[in-house]
Amino acid sequence: MASIAAEQETPAGPQIVLPGDLLPSSDSGLLDDAPAAPVIKLGPGLQPMDDDTIIAVKAGTLKHAAVGNRWWIESNQRRYVAAPGESVVGVVVGKTVDHYKIDIGTAQPALLGVLAFEGASKRNKPDIKIGALVYCRVSLANKDMEAELECFNPTTGKADGYGELKSGFVIKTSLGLARRLLDPKTLILRLLGQHVPFETAIGMNGKIWINSTSPKHTILICNAIKNSEYLNAQECTTMVKSLIERL
Amino acid sequence: GSSVLCSVVGPAEVKIRDEKLDKATLDVVARPLVGLPGVKDKAREQAIRETLEPLVLSGLHPRTGIQIVVQTMKDDGCVLSTAFNATILALLDAGIPLKSILGSVTCIIDSKTNQILLDPTTEELALAKSTHVFVFDNKTSVSSTQQENDNMDQDNADSALGAVLFSDSTGLFTEEEYFECAQVCFKATQAVHGFIRTAVQKKLEKEYQQIQA
Repeated sequence: MASIAAEQETPAGPQIVLPGDLLPSSDSGLLDDAPAAPVIKLGPGLQPMDDDTIIAVKAGTLKHAAVGNRWWIESNQRRYVAAPGESVVGVVVGKTVDHYKIDIGTAQPALLGVLAFEGASKRNKPDIKIGALVYCRVSLANKDMEAELECFNPTTGKADGYGELKSGFVIKTSLGLARRLLDPKTLILRLLGQHVPFETAIGMNGKIWINSTSPKHTILICNAIKNSEYLNAQECTTMVKSLIERL
Repeated sequence: GSSVLCSVVGPAEVKIRDEKLDKATLDVVARPLVGLPGVKDKAREQAIRETLEPLVLSGLHPRTGIQIVVQTMKDDGCVLSTAFNATILALLDAGIPLKSILGSVTCIIDSKTNQILLDPTTEELALAKSTHVFVFDNKTSVSSTQQENDNMDQDNADSALGAVLFSDSTGLFTEEEYFECAQVCFKATQAVHGFIRTAVQKKLEKEYQQIQA
């Protein structure tokens, strides 16, 4: 969503909203984008109220995509709430005959079907131990039930990077930082890649898996990512340089 | 001045006996500066919980728990107001969905001068004839007829009052004094709301630096 979004700019900059703020009324001209499609699609952070108004329910930046007249709030928090289609990093905490219980940071552990892997069948089941890390995709999520996960891309049927993550290290960050790391415009990962070879799996649940050639490098990358949350590009470059020098 | 540290954890797992089928369970714990929590802290917990329950959109997170812990760090009067303001900031930071924000202000009527004083210190509270704690949300509940008259009648605009989410008054006071205090506190709460908005703005600006660069 972020890649095709246009920021809701007011002359003073992006529009920051707090809970209780009403979505701009139709006379302010901000809802005029798609006259042929008067239907408004609401994303995270916006709720329709009984009196036909739309209010923000989270503190954040109001975003709008002209395609489909979609409105949503970009906010930040540390607690993850499962949403379908998102890729997450989880820890196996339990195992039954049909599924694995995976802790992805939500209120209840999520369920990963034992057959939800590429090329899995009743005779060919993957063997993942308790305590192992997995990178999976949320296939089903609603507020009343435990989330369900799968370890393959539903459109291709192939693993496409999902599955068990061997060795490496996981850090916990805010959801906003994880989302920004997935954006190619964010500098920090590219900067680190110029100095240290590593592989990473970014979970939208705020858990980031990092693996590189030696523990020293892994720790350096983890610290650099954690430190980069509130820094701008210039400060990031300086911070990474000082960490590399101390290697 | 007083200082309060507030932490919010949620939506997280909750014990089955505390589980609500269609809503999140709000659990508030208030800890005093010194000693074990007593009746005053329990009263504080109840005030915060009952004010926040209608504000939190708990229907979006059924069978979960949201735990709010409020720890007094410095006590120089108005701890309840400080606790309310700290709680709402913590809830915003935790991303708990809310119908509106709130702001709280305490005022006293001085026994000697009969003046209304905002944000009293412990010393000033001792000389108070009456103490009033108000919590307002950020939606002005001006009636529709008043709104029409606003442009013509400045008096009406001055007497506009926001929605009172919580009101606690102790001491001797008349009805006029109470409503006057409510007016004064409402105006002061706008400054609290402004501060909350600025705080959120500053945090978001720092987070988006890398992408905008």
